[in-house]
Amino acid sequence: MTLRTVISAILLLMGMFIFLTSVIGLLRFKNVLDRIHAAALGDTMGIFLTVLGLIVISNSFYQAVKLALVVVFIWLTSPVTTHLIGKIELLTAGKNYTNRRNIK
Amino acid sequence: MTYNSSDNHESKWEKFFKWVNGEQALDSVWEKELKSKILGKRQKRHKSIEDVIDKINAQSKKIYIFFSIIITVTYIGILLYTAVLLPEHGNELNPTNNEVSQRYVENGVNDTGAVNAVSAMILEYRAFDTFGETVALFASIICVAILLKKDRSNLCPQEEREYIEDEKILNADGNGILKFTSRLIFPIVILYGVYVILNGHISPGGGFSGGAIIGAGLILYSAAYGDKNLKHIVNYNSFSKVVCGCLLVYFFSKGYSFFTGGNHIKSIIPKGTPGNILSGGLILPLNICVGAVVACTIYGFYSYFTKGDI
Repeated sequence: MTLRTVISAILLLMGMFIFLTSVIGLLRFKNVLDRIHAAALGDTMGIFLTVLGLIVISNSFYQAVKLALVVVFIWLTSPVTTHLIGKIELLTAGKNYTNRRNIK
Repeated sequence: MTYNSSDNHESKWEKFFKWVNGEQALDSVWEKELKSKILGKRQKRHKSIEDVIDKINAQSKKIYIFFSIIITVTYIGILLYTAVLLPEHGNELNPTNNEVSQRYVENGVNDTGAVNAVSAMILEYRAFDTFGETVALFASIICVAILLKKDRSNLCPQEEREYIEDEKILNADGNGILKFTSRLIFPIVILYGVYVILNGHISPGGGFSGGAIIGAGLILYSAAYGDKNLKHIVNYNSFSKVVCGCLLVYFFSKGYSFFTGGNHIKSIIPKGTPGNILSGGLILPLNICVGAVVACTIYGFYSYFTKGDI
């Protein structure tokens, strides 16, 4: 048990804890906007802590760079999907969901 | 081409002829004429028709539950009995550790020139299997096209309204964030897909996974910018040419040994040094063919399910 393993284990456990809270929120909340808030928790801090833990125990420099690129990619794409879901929710809130022609 | 127009002077034969030609939707006939007649007759005969239907439903539900439990328990028993008879995991005397897998591991690089043993297996030793998988994808996209392809000149009024509204939504400058992000990400996604396809015989990957990545990139572009901007590259003409051409190339490079016999490991192209990009004989062109077919299929599914056309 080196120091690196301990640090990465702590980081991974923290990431898993954040993912757990995110999943519980996703299941327990009732509105779409609340659920977006809960899902964004895992996509930002959870993935960051998990990948940071993996970077700490990674063997080579290139492996660490690839893992960091994963975080950059998710931080680029996840807000866009969240934004789109929120926008559609804003447009369709309180309207008849089964008829998609009400979206303007 | 008018819908819901039924003149009273038409004979039954004319109505049937119109219905066969698709000019008069069946629903409208059902709604207007037949429904009231048939249901009215039935309600006269059985005043409490809903009670009868409820009774039949309750009976059939009991039978359904009974048989579903019996079938499920039987299958669970069969599967558990088979699982008990399976050999122990990790035992070196298992029947899967035979001379075939040993040959793949030991002679794979010498026979095919590909470092990735999985690629060597699926595209050299078992190229027929992969050809069958690719043809299955082709057949599935043809089925989807048969079922979902819309004729733009022959839409019913509601579909036409939906189509016009879709065009309006796409042309509006509403989703600038999505457009900006997809402009950043789209080239990277396509580049990564090409890398996965071209490195299929060196590193994990290959035609199927790389084609899926490229198809996802095309879907992203189509969702952000609309299919009009993609139309001069990916249209029905180029789609069918690419898919059929790739399948034909695959067939002619691997299919003739079906008639001549032999294991068909000797390829026309020299193997090269294992580990280089230009090595592995026919594996690289076959990976490109499979990747093109998979990318076209995935984009075609998306396009047919959302817009009804490519």
